[in-house]
Amino acid sequence: MNFTNSPLYKKIFKDAWSYWTGAILLAILNTAMLAISGKGWGVTTTFAYWGAWISKLFGADVSGWDFFQIEANAKALGQSVFTNTGSAQNIGIIAGALLATLLASQFKIKKLKSYKQVIAAALGGLLMGYGARIAFGCNIGAFFSGIASMSLHGWIYAVFIFLGAWIGSKLLVRYFMT
Amino acid sequence: MAEYRLDCLGEACPVPLIKTQKKMEQLKVGDTLIVEIDHSCAMKNVPEWARKVGHNVEIEEVDDGEWEIYIEKTK
Repeated sequence: MNFTNSPLYKKIFKDAWSYWTGAILLAILNTAMLAISGKGWGVTTTFAYWGAWISKLFGADVSGWDFFQIEANAKALGQSVFTNTGSAQNIGIIAGALLATLLASQFKIKKLKSYKQVIAAALGGLLMGYGARIAFGCNIGAFFSGIASMSLHGWIYAVFIFLGAWIGSKLLVRYFMT
Repeated sequence: MAEYRLDCLGEACPVPLIKTQKKMEQLKVGDTLIVEIDHSCAMKNVPEWARKVGHNVEIEEVDDGEWEIYIEKTK
């Protein structure tokens, strides 16, 4: 018997989980992460560390920057991908996503539709990266973990992310629907 | 009873959904639209919308991570 035909395989690996299943699992995992590492789940602060480590490789000194005067960030400057928990989390996301798509046998290298897509992705990435730094987190660190730990800044983030998504959808219809 | 194809390969949400909605407006009742997608979340929201509107929907997995959504316009 081919196991890919079994209903259990289809339910767990092939079909998308319900929002409820996902939400409950995320809540449990974030609670566990907070209990073990002392910090809620976050993604983009680590990107700043990666940027700093790469800059260091090329001889740039970022230790004088305001961002690295904060104790946790200063400590991270001396770490590497192998000793930094945030890096392990981010690599885990990528490896986990790859595993999930392989288990569902849905892996595909997608072709680029247009150069407009490339420019929009690069511009969007830069804006999101910059925004995540001045907002002290992204939709995970500031929004998800912020609201879960009952911090006001998570709720403020929520209001503005809806505003941003609304503006973004207007731009999308205008520039990508022709 | 014409059949149309909509190439949404390489497009991310919500582009396939909006393109499908626009294209369906141009179809006559009884016509079928085949939407080609390779974005798994479009595989959820495109059929969801079409069923809510009342069209007949069928999904076929044509390759690894590639689907065709058949939508027959009913009204």
